[in-house]
Amino acid sequence: MKRVYGLTAFLLLFAASVSFGAGPLKIGVLAPLSGPFAANGTSFVQAATLAVEQANAEGGALGRRIEIAVADTEGRVDVARSETLRLVSREGVDALVGAYLSEETMGVMETAGPRGIPLIVPVAATAEITDRIRREPARFRAVFRVSYSIPQWAETLAAFLKARKTARYAFVGTGIRWNKELGNALEQSAARLGIGVAYAGYYSPGNPAFDPVAVAAAGSGADIVVLGDPGKNSLSFLKRLRELSPGMPVLSVGGTLGDARLVPSLPLAGPLYVQAAAWKGSTPSATAYAERFEKRFGSAPVGYSDTLPYDAVTVLVAAWRQAGSAKGDAVASALENGTFQGAAGAYRFDDSHQAAWGPGPGALRGTIIRWERDGGRIVFPPH
Amino acid sequence: MPALPQLILDGVFTGAAFALMAGGLSLILGVVKVVNLSHGAFFTLGAYVAATLSRQGTEFHPVASILLGGGVAFALGTFLGKGFINPIRSHPFSVTVGTLAFSLLFEQVAQFAWGPHPQIIAVGRSFSGPLGTTVRMWGAAAFLACLALLAALRLLLSSRWGLPLKLIAEDEEIAESVGIDAEKVRYLTFGAASAMAAVAGALLAPAAAIVPTMGRGPLILSLIVVIVSGMENLPATFALAVGLGLLSNLGAYYLAPEWSYILLLATVCVLLALRPAGWKGLVIARDV
Repeated sequence: MKRVYGLTAFLLLFAASVSFGAGPLKIGVLAPLSGPFAANGTSFVQAATLAVEQANAEGGALGRRIEIAVADTEGRVDVARSETLRLVSREGVDALVGAYLSEETMGVMETAGPRGIPLIVPVAATAEITDRIRREPARFRAVFRVSYSIPQWAETLAAFLKARKTARYAFVGTGIRWNKELGNALEQSAARLGIGVAYAGYYSPGNPAFDPVAVAAAGSGADIVVLGDPGKNSLSFLKRLRELSPGMPVLSVGGTLGDARLVPSLPLAGPLYVQAAAWKGSTPSATAYAERFEKRFGSAPVGYSDTLPYDAVTVLVAAWRQAGSAKGDAVASALENGTFQGAAGAYRFDDSHQAAWGPGPGALRGTIIRWERDGGRIVFPPH
Repeated sequence: MPALPQLILDGVFTGAAFALMAGGLSLILGVVKVVNLSHGAFFTLGAYVAATLSRQGTEFHPVASILLGGGVAFALGTFLGKGFINPIRSHPFSVTVGTLAFSLLFEQVAQFAWGPHPQIIAVGRSFSGPLGTTVRMWGAAAFLACLALLAALRLLLSSRWGLPLKLIAEDEEIAESVGIDAEKVRYLTFGAASAMAAVAGALLAPAAAIVPTMGRGPLILSLIVVIVSGMENLPATFALAVGLGLLSNLGAYYLAPEWSYILLLATVCVLLALRPAGWKGLVIARDV
């Protein structure tokens, strides 16, 4: 009788372990789905969903299906921290992708890093993320960033300004940390190329004084206005600027102004350029991604807050497959040593776990488009 | 383009936009005597109605937007006033929390109905003004509408039609003793004030990115105007709103854009310190 009980217990344990092993791999996706950044957060989750669907269609990873558990950060650091804890401890996720803002991403990183859970940062650009990884490599062993860092972003913008033969530009953004970092980084990158700053203004997020900033930017003698705000306020500012100076060229860092749904009512009397990680037509993989996204969600991707999360999930899944394991150390080793194909191109990570972006050889380049009424036309880098 | 005249003109227009919102808010504070944090939601509702009527954002229909936006907001505001505000208005804290909850609920509903992505309406024409300025169409519309609405409100309060409002604001028991249905006046006032917020949202829609949370900023700014100016003096509400708009614009240009909000809030603190009876003044005076 004892033998029967023992055999039954063994079979139950075996069945439990088999079913546990065959359970899905879970990715925790942290994005702002309510509050002022809800639009960007929604595209973020759509793209992550698309990447997971694609990965499952290709057989999943490690012989398991992949699922996502979504958490709404509301664009707040405290919520991002608590949601990270929930995803890790209650949902039991195997990896994290997020968050959106630099501040909330730092909160996620602080919470997830010491637990060894792989974290792929898809959008946040502050240099502090890679600085922390460089200073405390053991603590943030499994934290990697696919998006461009601020210095890389500034290099691309400056290269475009140089290609347009810009002498002086005006920089306008919102008064938050990463936007000021970008303004300063661009000033340095542009100075190296002989381009000067005519005006720099950061409107307050609480009371964005668009009118005086538009007056100052339009009257600064700049050849072009670099609009560093990726959020909804970029629309309001663009309108104010174009009312005063309809032909003034504007270069947006991307985000809201990359949304094709807005084109019919955008003021396009002057050139409007938008930077993106990838755009339909920039590479075959970018085209394939854009077409899949449009078919699945009925609108074209904006090339930034969706493309980069898509690539973050794609790179993570590829790393799982390459590592043959979902454990943090194994995934980190795979990411440190491998090359991973995403919609924007081939990702390689440096010592600070930053994907290589910029004009250097083998680096991802990103793209800049110009809006026309019938769609976006790629203008940089020149083919 | 000369900067100072443009800054002054834009400051006046920005202030008029604050005043447009503040007019309705002060009416609620004066007659219904509650702090209404749902006012921004009605502003957003007006903007969404304008966007819906604009055929993919390419055409702005101000008259239709005002009528439809104002009408829908009046109906919703009246319903909210009768069904929710009136029963709990003796508990001021509950009203404040309740209207805030309504506002957040509305943001979720708007996100569900129109999506989280911004909607915009084509900017419309701007034309040359005096001293080389550029006159923004939406700004001129907000300014004129604000003047018209505040003038109409003042006229109403000084006519016999406004007597119930003044009596209720002064003393509800006396008003009821002479046969005025105070509850009805209160919820109709709430509806009318909500319509004013929606009209402001509809008129300012071409200037903004229309998103579910767009009413938060105007709510705070109009609340500031009402707190400081009170309801007893409508021209003071207008003058204060315009003054704050000018201060915000000039501060942003001559100091730094980030300082404009700090300057605005610091000025409000000073004004309140000089006039601490601001809250007490939130009633409609007998002699308006």
